[in-house]
Amino acid sequence: MIYQQLINGLMLGASYSLVAIGYTLIFGVLNLLYFAHGEVFMIGAFVGLFLVVYAGANIYGALLGAMVICGILGAIAVFIAVRPVPKDRPLAPLISTIGLTIVIQNLTIYLNGGQQLAFPETIAQKLYHIGPVTISAAQLFILGVALALMVLLWLFIERSKMGRAIRATAENHETAALLGVNVNRVVLITFIIGSGIAGVAGVLDGVKNSSISPFMGLGAAVKGLIVMLLGGLGNVPGAMVAGLMLGMIEILSAAYIGTTERDFFSFLILILILLWRPTGLFGTRTAERR
Amino acid sequence: MLERTPAAACLAIEGLTKRFGGFFALDNLQVEVAAGDIHALIGPNGAGKTTLFNLITGVLSADSGRIVFEGQPVMDARPSKRTLRGIARTFQNIRLFPHLTVLETVMIGEHCRLFPSLWLSFRAAALQLPFGEAEQERAMRATALTLLEFFGLADKRDAKASDLPYGDQRRLEMARALATQPRLLLLDEPAAGMNPHETEELDELITRIRDRGVTIILVEHDMRLVMEISDRVTVLNFGTKIAEGNPKEIQSNPVVIEAYLGEDVQL
Amino acid sequence: MFNTLIDGYTQSILIFIGINIIVAYSFFAPFKTGQVSIGQAGFMAVGAYASAVLTQKFGAPFIVSVPVAGLIAGVVGVVIGFPALRIKGIYLLLLTLGFSEIIQVIVLSWDYVGGAQGYRNIPFNRHTLESVIVVVALLIFFFGRLERSSLGRAMDSIHQDETASEVMGIDVVRIKLFAFGIGATVAGIAGALYAHQLTYVDSTTFNVMMSIEILIFVVVGGASTYWGPVVGAVVLSLLPELLRTLREWLELLPVAWTNFYPADKIYDFLHGFLDFENAKRLIVYGIILIVMMIVRPDGLITRDSIPRISLKRWRARHA
Repeated sequence: MIYQQLINGLMLGASYSLVAIGYTLIFGVLNLLYFAHGEVFMIGAFVGLFLVVYAGANIYGALLGAMVICGILGAIAVFIAVRPVPKDRPLAPLISTIGLTIVIQNLTIYLNGGQQLAFPETIAQKLYHIGPVTISAAQLFILGVALALMVLLWLFIERSKMGRAIRATAENHETAALLGVNVNRVVLITFIIGSGIAGVAGVLDGVKNSSISPFMGLGAAVKGLIVMLLGGLGNVPGAMVAGLMLGMIEILSAAYIGTTERDFFSFLILILILLWRPTGLFGTRTAERR
Repeated sequence: MLERTPAAACLAIEGLTKRFGGFFALDNLQVEVAAGDIHALIGPNGAGKTTLFNLITGVLSADSGRIVFEGQPVMDARPSKRTLRGIARTFQNIRLFPHLTVLETVMIGEHCRLFPSLWLSFRAAALQLPFGEAEQERAMRATALTLLEFFGLADKRDAKASDLPYGDQRRLEMARALATQPRLLLLDEPAAGMNPHETEELDELITRIRDRGVTIILVEHDMRLVMEISDRVTVLNFGTKIAEGNPKEIQSNPVVIEAYLGEDVQL
Repeated sequence: MFNTLIDGYTQSILIFIGINIIVAYSFFAPFKTGQVSIGQAGFMAVGAYASAVLTQKFGAPFIVSVPVAGLIAGVVGVVIGFPALRIKGIYLLLLTLGFSEIIQVIVLSWDYVGGAQGYRNIPFNRHTLESVIVVVALLIFFFGRLERSSLGRAMDSIHQDETASEVMGIDVVRIKLFAFGIGATVAGIAGALYAHQLTYVDSTTFNVMMSIEILIFVVVGGASTYWGPVVGAVVLSLLPELLRTLREWLELLPVAWTNFYPADKIYDFLHGFLDFENAKRLIVYGIILIVMMIVRPDGLITRDSIPRISLKRWRARHA
């Protein structure tokens, strides 16, 4: 029984991690709380669903499509809600991203209605037995994709030239610029990557829950925030680990203590971390004051 | 406006130590500042001068040792309490309130004297007359203007602090500090970035402040200023005192000269 | 008193706007010292539930339960205010967010206040409108005075440079706590009034989006002056009505004009778009937010927008 819960915890955690990665990447590079990130997650799920239902795509097509469309969405967000807003007033960029959240969420509701949609089956129903654990093909797939994505991203950030540029920008914009980094372009790419990953996470979530809704973004946004803090602001590997941890904690507390208290623990952890270790479990990596 | 208490103001630093990890910013420092003096604190960069200021004003707390002000040990944890006791300072990299006007900035300094408790300030706020300025506001404004005149900033009273030229900003910081009616004023590199003419004016200004009854501790790199106006000079290096005396003694002290070797400073 | 003059529907709209003004001030108070809280809905919840319990279970009169509920919320505010003192920026946002969410969870699982079913049968109060008007007037008066006072200046200085303020003798700790507590109290009063108007609250009533809307009232209205919260709350509350009026004006266009393509398509689009049915209205709302932050990030009202009324200056000019 506990293994089932652990798997559920990992899956929930993987979802949190993927969302939090985008959050923390963007925060690291811009010191901005990109509130609309949750909505990108939701759009990814919808794009995936429409590709499967109306374009007959298979799951891989859905994932790819969601990644691309959400990446583009990230770029659009930069051009309309991030770049034009003056950064010297700290709340203005936050509000414009909130405005973007409202627009995206309600555009979806307007075009689609406010109800949940069923996510069709895309993965064959099969059960695998590995020792004492029983895991379905879908669960295995979700975990596999999520982990693969995280590993790829980690390699990208640590080993590639653009990854280095992103890390440099996260440290200090001026220094990065002096080293020849095009800060604006790095910010744009960060948004695109983060959004793309969130899009994939949305599709995976749809597969996991067999349903999606236009309101799934807000919850993801809030949880993503907690994970981001837990892992350390701007710390990508930290967000990955913290997401998995939070997912496990939530599932285990729901299983053994009660479902209404499940969120309680997440928020309690949030507050405790804020008060005792605001740099998160693994340390922050954010841009200095410019 | 400023209280003249000639015998009272004096500061004693006794065995003060401050560590940042393994690094000793201040190591068992012992200094005494006589009332009514202009006491200079010099030393190469990183010698611990600003750290000392931070400790005196309470922005940082010491690891060991103590600070005695006017005969009473300074125990209050919070900087605002120390300001109430009569210690004020300016900052090395100017810290003004970007959106307040020059006049408002100085009036902030007055606040703690007029309203030593939150209740008093709240009561004053709640009891103000509408469409007019309360007596108290008027008085604050007048006092602030007098202070601004002293510093030659009266004509710029409605300008935003961040719009002022550099020299004026430095003087505004001093005006603000003086508005708290201190008996000890810590000036952190007031001449930084000034040309010789401005430095001479500063020279005169600081002396005039002292003549109003304020003891001054001055951290400076501009040696001409230091030697010109200081009564006493303490030299720090690596967090300890390496020399102390009047300006003439310090100028010819070989230990001091050696400490400054490599620094672009004319003793 | 107003029951005879104004009909129930208009009354509830006025109450709605009034409560929005009140909550806008609840954000404004801590913000004046630089503390950004997205937990004000949580304090509203405390006030709402406290007042409901007082009125319904203890039989306290409305005029007692509302202020007392506000005070209770204020006490909670000061308690949260302590840890809030040493954290800033996004961390404070997260703390206040966490607080608000925890309140929701507590309310959800506490059966004394209704648990998952929510708190029903809160006695409706016929004097809510008068109370709202009185509170709004008091707030405008109080914050107007605050702005012109030394305490108000001190709060601004804390907002702009906390360390410098502290070193200038400003009692930063007490003032920040005071501001935070005032914000919580005002939010609590708003919550209490709200509860007695809706007669039903549950754990989803006072959610994150509400806290965020409160923040938006102030930032859009103008956070640098005490008229900002009023303007922001009024404008954004009336937005659907404004849009509906625009739509009606659109209908006044001469019919002939719209017979030409593509004018009729544009007309149809605008006409449908300005329909203040929920989702569409919110889309416009979101777009307005984005545009405002690009074009006028300081908000609608800034200090320079307000003509300074001063007897002395009038005399000086007309002497």
